[in-house]
Amino acid sequence: MRNKLVYILGALVAVLFVRNLYVILNVLPDEANQGAMYRIMFFHIPSWWTAGLALTVAGVTSGLYLATGKMKYDAISVSVTEVAVAFLCIGMTTGMIWARIIWGIWWTWDARLTSALICVLLYGGYLILRNGIEDPTSRARISAAFNIFAFVDVPIVWYSIRWWRTQHPQPMSLPPEMWSALLWNWLALILLMIIFIKMRLRQEEMRREVDGLRRLAHAI
Amino acid sequence: MDERNFQYMFYGFSAAWVVIVIYALTLFARESKIKAEIDRLKSMLEEKDRK
Amino acid sequence: MAFWSQTFTIAAKDLRAELRSKEAINASFSFSLTILLLFSFAFVEEATIDIAGGLLWIVFAFAGALILNRSFARELPNDCLDALIAAPLPASALFLGKALANLLLLLAVEAVSFPVFGVFYNARWTGQFWTLALVAVLGTWGFTVIGTMFSALTVNLRLREVMLPLLVYPVMIPCLMAAMKLTGHLIGGEPLDAEMMVWMRFLIGFDVIFTALALALVDVVLVS
Repeated sequence: MRNKLVYILGALVAVLFVRNLYVILNVLPDEANQGAMYRIMFFHIPSWWTAGLALTVAGVTSGLYLATGKMKYDAISVSVTEVAVAFLCIGMTTGMIWARIIWGIWWTWDARLTSALICVLLYGGYLILRNGIEDPTSRARISAAFNIFAFVDVPIVWYSIRWWRTQHPQPMSLPPEMWSALLWNWLALILLMIIFIKMRLRQEEMRREVDGLRRLAHAI
Repeated sequence: MDERNFQYMFYGFSAAWVVIVIYALTLFARESKIKAEIDRLKSMLEEKDRK
Repeated sequence: MAFWSQTFTIAAKDLRAELRSKEAINASFSFSLTILLLFSFAFVEEATIDIAGGLLWIVFAFAGALILNRSFARELPNDCLDALIAAPLPASALFLGKALANLLLLLAVEAVSFPVFGVFYNARWTGQFWTLALVAVLGTWGFTVIGTMFSALTVNLRLREVMLPLLVYPVMIPCLMAAMKLTGHLIGGEPLDAEMMVWMRFLIGFDVIFTALALALVDVVLVS
């Protein structure tokens, strides 16, 4: 039954992506200066929105784990954070490719890019930290505490273009058909995120099963 | 569609898809590894039961 | 008031232990002097004032990691950490005491590094001495608070020495950036202008936020 849901979602995501790519490539008007390159933003922006959404959920479930001690919140935290890191990588690579063409440079140290890089380093560090702790309870506790520290950076990334003057494009107004394309692609990415999270959660359950079986095997 | 920079746009889209595919593949690989571990442990337990 | 006397007791204990064995202090001092020496060969003299802020804070960050690592690791033999956690003092007092001790140790390293910098690089750095001292204390406190917290977090890990810098440095980047910019500006001898005051407020904000967060979460981390 659970598998069926993943497959249905997968089919839906595939259909959505096909529709979105068609819209992005054929229907949308051209932009004045960038040529075809501006269409990358329909992946770049929603993948950062998805990552931000995922990291917020991870921060909340980390807090919930610390408050209640239920291991399911820890399983959700790690699954959501790992998927978020994947979307962070998508955001970074699409951004850097766009920047290389439009600005002529792969990278710059403005507020948005610096805080975004810190975000990647922090949550990558979270995943490495988890690998270093063997006892499940202290792993859950320590990584939940670290997740909350790391979450301080997420609002900074979000507001950086409003608080500072950045090389990264500032908040701008877009024509409605572009907003619609952005939101449709965000929907596709959110569904993809849900699929990945479900798969990762199942792996956490399986890992717990392995731990139980190991304990049983060594006890006999 | 304005064709300027089309090739680079294509690289950008490919980068996004490559990351998605790589992550999906690592998920699948990890799942089969864990499944293999579960099967191994279950058969080890059955052997011990039989003894 | 018991809270503060407990905090100062812990800080005094840590300082006494460190001054007796001098493990981290020796390593830290030698490391910072070596790096300053090496960097003086690496860069042309004319470039020195431009890079002074960045150079000094990189030295402090790396030397500080040596001190912070020892902070909780020192308590591992003979179950001292368990004893401290079980003791009738709030975890926040334990944390603050250790953070204060680390702050003083790192400030001592900085107090030696600044004159050495002046000598090796022929730089006059005392122009804005008191503001520079304030920046040093604020930046070092930000580093110490984060580092002590993560030292507690990583104390039981196998790869503690690797994990601590890996976790601390990304969180530290905003604080280090602000400290570097302010130090570079002040070493040049000019007072803080409006643009630099933004960085100063940024540094103070960083310190406040992370001190509060650390005090809130220290009970979770320091659990036996």
